[in-house]
Amino acid sequence: MQSKMKLKTEQFGEIEYANENVIRIAKGLFGFENLEEYLLIKTDNTLFYWLNSIEEPSVAFPMVGINVLDDTYPQVDGTEPFGIVTLDKDPLKITVNMKAPLYINQDIKTGKQKILDREKYLVNYKLFVE
Amino acid sequence: MLVLKRKMNEEIIINSNIVVKILSVTDGQVKIGIEAPTEIEIFRGEVFEKVKANLISAAEKSKEKVAGITEFKINKLL
Repeated sequence: MQSKMKLKTEQFGEIEYANENVIRIAKGLFGFENLEEYLLIKTDNTLFYWLNSIEEPSVAFPMVGINVLDDTYPQVDGTEPFGIVTLDKDPLKITVNMKAPLYINQDIKTGKQKILDREKYLVNYKLFVE
Repeated sequence: MLVLKRKMNEEIIINSNIVVKILSVTDGQVKIGIEAPTEIEIFRGEVFEKVKANLISAAEKSKEKVAGITEFKINKLL
């Protein structure tokens, strides 16, 4: 039997996980190169996912599946692209980073962040419109 | 910082497997060609810095309480 571990998150309190749930991101995310292990948490009734660092539990990134926003976004086989979200009290100011997608492979539990050097992909693309 | 002077078509070799070549110099703009193994990631400096700043701000603002998002439509990229 897999032994359960516990992670104290800001968003969801203490959650239990097993080693097989850990998403490994070699060399981390840009600006967070030292954090390589995460849990991917799906929220029930919103479009947000949360990527919570295991090594530094107070670090968490809200994300959205980019395919929800763009039907023609560059794909990587076996993975799904996620955009890191910058939250704001005003929903109209919430943005998604479309320039630096995190491609997650849920089968082998790995992630890799890329930078798409194309002008149409903004780091602060507005998530909502009225 | 290591500083080297190079002329057009001259190269710099880094770590024996990365080649940086000066392709042209016109009006204060330098065109550079880079050959490197695929695992070497190459970014424009200002783009990389922008991405990093965005992630740091996303981590900081992850604690913001957000309400009422169901009132809005998703902004599809067309």
